Amino acid sequence: MRRVLNTLRDGVGFDTLLVIVALTYLLLFAGLPLIYNVVISFQHVDIFSLGTLFHPSAGWENYTAIFTDPLARTVLVNTIVFTLASVALQFTLGFAVALFFDRQFPGAAWIRGLFLAGWVMPGLVVGVLWNWLLSGDFGVINYVLEALGIIDDPIFWRSDVDYSLFSVILANIWYGMPFNMILLSVGLAAIPDDLYEAAELDGANVWQRFWTITLPMMRATIGAVLALGIIFTLQQFDLFAAITSGGPAGSSTVAQYWSWQLSFREFDFGRGAVISVLMIVVVLAVALIYVRSTRAETRL
Amino acid sequence: MTPQIELIDVNKHYGSFHALKGIDVTIPKGQFVALVGPSGCGKSTLLRSIAGLESISGGTLKIAGEVMNKVPPRKRDLAMVFQSYALYPHLSVRDNLTYALRLRGVSKAERARAAEEVAAVIGLGALLDRRPAELSGGQRQRVAMGRAIIREPKAFLFDEPLSNLDASLRVRMRKEIRAIHDRLGATSVYVTHDQIEAMTMADHVVVLRAGVIEQQGPPLDLYARPVNRFVAGFIGSPAMNFVPATVVEGGGAVRLDAAGGAEVAVAGRVEGGRRVIAGIRPEHLDIVGADTPGAFALTVGAVEPTGSVTYVSSDDEPEILLVADGATRVRTGDRIHVAIAPERVHLFDPESEAALG
Ligand SMILES: Nc1ncnc2c1ncn2[C@@H]1O[C@H](COP(=O)(O)OP(=O)(O)OP(=O)(O)O)[C@@H](O)[C@H]1O
Ligand SMILES: [Mg+2]
Repeated sequence: MRRVLNTLRDGVGFDTLLVIVALTYLLLFAGLPLIYNVVISFQHVDIFSLGTLFHPSAGWENYTAIFTDPLARTVLVNTIVFTLASVALQFTLGFAVALFFDRQFPGAAWIRGLFLAGWVMPGLVVGVLWNWLLSGDFGVINYVLEALGIIDDPIFWRSDVDYSLFSVILANIWYGMPFNMILLSVGLAAIPDDLYEAAELDGANVWQRFWTITLPMMRATIGAVLALGIIFTLQQFDLFAAITSGGPAGSSTVAQYWSWQLSFREFDFGRGAVISVLMIVVVLAVALIYVRSTRAETRL
Repeated sequence: MTPQIELIDVNKHYGSFHALKGIDVTIPKGQFVALVGPSGCGKSTLLRSIAGLESISGGTLKIAGEVMNKVPPRKRDLAMVFQSYALYPHLSVRDNLTYALRLRGVSKAERARAAEEVAAVIGLGALLDRRPAELSGGQRQRVAMGRAIIREPKAFLFDEPLSNLDASLRVRMRKEIRAIHDRLGATSVYVTHDQIEAMTMADHVVVLRAGVIEQQGPPLDLYARPVNRFVAGFIGSPAMNFVPATVVEGGGAVRLDAAGGAEVAVAGRVEGGRRVIAGIRPEHLDIVGADTPGAFALTVGAVEPTGSVTYVSSDDEPEILLVADGATRVRTGDRIHVAIAPERVHLFDPESEAALG
């Protein structure tokens, strides 16, 4: 007994204990729900049978239902457009702003910190904010565009099938840009100044320094930021709920929103789970890229 | 012939801090110049000003006859070896060496050939495919050297390139750098706080203190004829003894405040009765017999044998150090007699610290 206590206090036992605690947590609160989600994607689950542990098996029925659903195509395209456009622009703008603040002018760190104000806001609040900006009748965006003579009649951003997805993308870029910017700033700050000085003496101009020093030195950070950006964008729900509710006519419905609609609006939990499962596969693939890119760090 | 690098009344301010004050240095083509001085005296600032990494606040900087004050570093055609080496961590040794060539659009085959050539010079042939992280400190230093010499620049700038190496490697690299300089017929500016490095490597030594050039010239001139007490104490190892003294009537000798008021003959002409500081290099004091003319007596304080030489210090305040033959057998408390040639005694003004006589 003494031996057990001793090893727990300062031996291998303590390490093992810590690992077991972490693993138990993961299994209980991440592993089980994940597996349960896969299980119900093969079952018929509705609002009445939700409380029971066992449900009638559905085979591949839920899957075929999703793939043959008339909305499936729209949702797939929307999800891809939403994710790619959001991540690409969040990243590019974030990188540009990070490079700008890396110049270390007076107050740079302080102003950079202010950018985080947007990011720490709850998504629903950001959504409401953008509702005002995008509003068809009294929105600032319409006002500016009209004043500049770009449009003649107000655009009803949130309720026009041509603009609804675009509205959410716009809000999401604004929402996610600071996070990209901060992570990229950290990466930039980690590049020693003397590398740039050496490159400058070797004859590199600003562009050459960016392409041959900054970008390759940032590879790991960029990989991580892009992977996290994709994962976070696939998790974005609040903005859809606040701005368009996936409408009109599904024109701004993306996979994660559809999954929620199926489960909690139509109470078809099996089909909702199918979409979750498909998204898990995508996220796992992206996470794999993330893990690999953080491992491949080449720092001196 | 136009000098390769010319600094005329160069000044540098960091805000209200005056880091370089009226620097005048002329470096002919092919010369190896060392900038020495204590930490914070402005050596790196001066070197970085030449490179263009710092802009100068006043004066003129010419490289190969052209004014460079406003020219960006990449157009100055200088190569620099950084104290940190600043190797590109994401590139192989080969790509590190040929980075500048790649920027200039030199073909891949040409670059490969140049890399082989330089690798042979710096002795890195087998390591061309490694990343900097996979090299030892000495090997990284060589890559940094190779990256500089592959370009055949107008001048080489070194900022304490050997300070991260161990003592024996430092001594070896000293020789190698100088040999490469000679082989290429290069012009080099070498920053170091180690005066031995400066003395052994350079043709011309510039001693800086607090942003001011105290003295410049060939190393042995600085050793033999320091213009002030600072240079006298900075150049030479172990450092010169400074003993307050009074010049005796007639001016041919000084009476030391130490060593029981011993009189030491001097060559410099200074009027009698004047207070001075006598500068005596430890290696110029010889242990002699008691009856030798001009000898004076010291009581031994500490003895430090190193094998090749033995450091003997007197029990005076301040102590007088001398370097004796390694076979010398003296013990603490012994009375010894020492002598110095009159022309080797330096005299300095106690107030201005300038050399006298
Ligand atoms: N960017 C800067 N802003 C303000 N002061 C600076 C700056 N860079 C250097 N200095 C000051 O200029 C002086 C000279 O600095 P420098 O780096 O040239 O010293 P150094 O002779 O190279 O010293 P070391 O041997 O320690 O490297 C120092 O007092 C330093 O504090
Ligand atoms: Mg320095």
